[in-house]
Amino acid sequence: MNLRKLGMVATVALATVIGMGVSTSSHAKTLKMAYDADPVSLDPMEQLSGGTLQMSHMVFDPLVRFTKDLSYEGRLATKWEQIDETTMRIYLRKGVKFHSGNMFSANDVAWTLNRLKESPDFKGLFEPFNGSKIIDDYTIDLTTSKPYPLVLTMMTYMFPMDSKFYTGTDANGNPKDMVKKHGNAFASTNESGTGPFVVTSREQGVRVEFDRFADYWDKESKGNVSKIIMTPIKEAPTRVASLLAGDIDFIAPVPPTDLKRIEDDANSNLVTMTGTRIITFQMNQERVEAFKDKRVRQAIVHAINNEGIVKKIMKGFGTAAAQQSAAGQLGHVEALKPRYDLKKAKALMKEAGYEKGFNITMMAPNNRYVNDAKIAEAVASMLSKINIKVDLTTMPKAQYWPKFDERAADMMMIGWHPDTEDSANYSEFLLMTPNTETGKGQYNSGNFANAELDALVNKANTITDIAERKKLLQQVEQLAYDEAAFVPLHWQNLAWAARKGVHIEDIVNVMNFPYLGDLVVD
Amino acid sequence: MLKLKTFLDSDFFYQFKSDRVAIISFSVIFLFFAAALFAPLLSPMDPHDPSQIDIMDSEIPPVWSSSDYAEPDERFLLGTDAQGRDMLSAILYGLRISIIIGLFAVAVQMGLGIAIGLISGYVGGRVDAFFMRLADIQLSLSTMMIAIIVLAIFQASFGAELYEELAIFMLVMVIGIAEWPQYARTIRASVLAEKNKEYVDAARVIGLSSPTIMVRHILPNTLSPLLVISTVQVANAIISEAALSFLGLGMPVTMPSLGSLISAGFEFIFSGSWWITTIPSIVLITLILTINLLGDWLRDVLNPKLYKG
Repeated sequence: MNLRKLGMVATVALATVIGMGVSTSSHAKTLKMAYDADPVSLDPMEQLSGGTLQMSHMVFDPLVRFTKDLSYEGRLATKWEQIDETTMRIYLRKGVKFHSGNMFSANDVAWTLNRLKESPDFKGLFEPFNGSKIIDDYTIDLTTSKPYPLVLTMMTYMFPMDSKFYTGTDANGNPKDMVKKHGNAFASTNESGTGPFVVTSREQGVRVEFDRFADYWDKESKGNVSKIIMTPIKEAPTRVASLLAGDIDFIAPVPPTDLKRIEDDANSNLVTMTGTRIITFQMNQERVEAFKDKRVRQAIVHAINNEGIVKKIMKGFGTAAAQQSAAGQLGHVEALKPRYDLKKAKALMKEAGYEKGFNITMMAPNNRYVNDAKIAEAVASMLSKINIKVDLTTMPKAQYWPKFDERAADMMMIGWHPDTEDSANYSEFLLMTPNTETGKGQYNSGNFANAELDALVNKANTITDIAERKKLLQQVEQLAYDEAAFVPLHWQNLAWAARKGVHIEDIVNVMNFPYLGDLVVD
Repeated sequence: MLKLKTFLDSDFFYQFKSDRVAIISFSVIFLFFAAALFAPLLSPMDPHDPSQIDIMDSEIPPVWSSSDYAEPDERFLLGTDAQGRDMLSAILYGLRISIIIGLFAVAVQMGLGIAIGLISGYVGGRVDAFFMRLADIQLSLSTMMIAIIVLAIFQASFGAELYEELAIFMLVMVIGIAEWPQYARTIRASVLAEKNKEYVDAARVIGLSSPTIMVRHILPNTLSPLLVISTVQVANAIISEAALSFLGLGMPVTMPSLGSLISAGFEFIFSGSWWITTIPSIVLITLILTINLLGDWLRDVLNPKLYKG
C-alpha cells in the first residue's frame, strides 16, 4: 500500500516536472516577472517613484536615457546641441509611432513638458525649464531661465506622451490629461506611449500584462520578449521562493539574506551592482556642543569601521564610502578612502579635550534601508570605544521620518539616492545650510553649515561646462571629507535575479530602471 | 545538622533518590541557576558592554562547526551573533535575566494570589464572590493577550528609551499581575478545606485574630499545592517572557534575555548562521522541560492520592 502510494506520488511529480519543461519551452518568449509592488498608475507623471519610472521605461520612451556607465544615449531624441547658454536644441527621431497609431512629433514633446510642469511631483524637477519652441516637426528648443547643467539629465525623466490621445474629456467629463494623485484620472488607467510594451490587461495589485508593441521604432533592439506578465509579490522570501521554484523568471528586489541561496542555485542568475544610494549618519551640531568641534567629528568618522560593516553586516552587499558621490558620478574623488583608525580617533578625542567622552542619543529606522537597525547598533558599539555612550532607538520608517523632521536625536541615519544621478543633489539636500525658503539642506539634520560649501554647490549648479563643474563638485566632496561633515557608511548595492537564460545582466543599471525592451531570453 | 539528617531520612528524600528523572532534572536546573548566578565570573566577556563587541567578530560559528562567512574561533566557544557578541556570554547573561524575570514574576503572582485566596476563602460571602468573579474574568482573557496590549501601549506612550530601562520591571509586573488567579484559586480551595478543621476552631476559641489564623495556621497547611504550582508557574513565566521578547515587546537587544536572543537570530536561520537562534532555543527548552518534569514529580510526591498509572 505504502509502496503504491509512493509510486503514485513519484508519477505525479514526474508528470509535473515534464509538464513544466514543456510549458517553459513553448512560452519561451514570455517573461514572468515579480517586483515587490506593481506600478500605482499608468500615468508617468502621477507619482515620482522608482516604480513609476520602471513602468515608464516599459510603456513609454524617454528622450534620452542613461547607459550602464552613466553616459547618455539618445532614444526619442537622436541628437542634441547647446545653441546658447540657456537653450538646448533637440532633434527628434522620425517615424516613431504611439501605441494609438498617432505619429510622434515635436508637438508631443512641448505638450509633455507643459504637463510635467503641472504635475505636483515632477514640477520641482522641471522648475529650471521655462518653455519650449517648436522649430519644425522634428526639432524643438528647450529653454531654461538660467544656465542649467542638468538639461540632458532631466531629458531622461521626460517620457513624451501622445498629445492627441490624451486630449479631450473622458467618460466622467474630466479632461483626459488631468494629473490627479490616487484619483480616477483617464491617464492613470489608459496609456499611449511609444515604448516597447503595450499594456493589455491590468488588475491593480494582482497582475499586469504587457505585449510587445508591433510597430516599435527600435528595430535594432535585440530584445525578444513578446509578452510580460508582471505579478507583485510583497513578501521577499515568497518572491525568492517563486524564482527558485521556477514559477517566475525575473525578480527584484532581492533581499541580501537570500543572495547566497540564489547565487548557489544552478538555475538562477544573480546580478548585483554597486548602487548610488549613500547611507550616512549626521551629527547634530545644534544639539551637541562637542559636534561643533571638527576634531570630534573626525574622531567619530575614524572610530567607525564602515568597511567592517559592509563586510560583516551587509555581507559584502555594499561599497564602503568616504564621500557622497559614488564612482562614476561627477564629484567622485578617487583619492578619498574610508578612514577607520581607532588609535587616531582616540588621539583626536584627546586633542579636542573629550578623552572621557560624552553621552549622545541616536535614532535610526528599522525597515527603510538594508539592515539599518543592525548598522546603527554596530555604530553605537564602535562609538563606545572612544567613550561616546550612545542611547540608540530604532523604529519603523513611518515613525522615523517625523522624528527626523523634528531633528529628535543627536545622531540620525539617512540614506540618499539622487534622482538626478548628479553629485550636487546629495549636497543640496544633505549638507547645505538648511534654508526653508530655497528648500536647500532639507535633510541636513546635522545642521552642518559651511558658507564655502554652499557657494561651491550653488556655483556648480549654474555651470554647464562639465570639466569645470566636475572640479567644483570634487572640491565639495573634499571639503566635506576634511570637515568630517557627516559619517559616510556605504553605498547600498542593488540586486536582481532571474532564471538562467534570461539575460538581465545586459539591461539593469544603477538607476534600477531595467530596460526590459532590450531583454534577450534564450 | 539534625534538620539535615531528618531531611535525608525523610520519605521525600527517599522518593527523590529513587527517581532518576527527578535527580537529572534537579541537577540540570541547579546547573542553570548556578550558571546564571555566576554569569559574570563564567562568561568570557560582558555582553552588555558595547565597547567589548567588535563587528569583525560577527557570525563566527561554534568551535565544532563551520560556516561560509567566518572560521570558528576558540575565543568564542558557542560562536557569535550578528553584532559580534559572544554567544556563550550572551546566553549566560540571558539565562540570568530570564530566571530573574521568572522568579520575580512568580513572587508577584504568589503575593497577590495568596493574599486574595486566603481572604476570599476565609471570609467567604460577598468578598469571595467578588474576587472569584474577578478571577473568572481575568482567566477568560489569555495572559499573552493582556501582556501584549499592556506592553505595546507602554512602549508607544513612554518611548523606546524609557522602555529599555524599565523593561525588566514591566515584564515582572505584567506577567505577575496577569497570572494571580492561578494561585488565588488553589489557595482558596485549600483554605475552604482547612478552615472547618478542629485546629482552626481551636485557634478561634482561644481568641486569635483572623489574620493570625489565616497566616500562621491555615497558610502553612496549604503550602504543598503551592509548591507544585510554583514550579509550573516559573516555567510559564519564563516562557511568557521569551514569547514577549520574541515579539519585540520584551527585553531590548542590548540586554538580551533568552527570548530576545532567539528572536534576534531568527532571520539568520536560513542564511546559514543557525547557532544564533538554535543554541539559546535549546537552553530555553531544556530549562522549561526540566522545571516541568521536576514539578510533575513534586506533584506526585506531595499528593499521595494521585498514583501513577
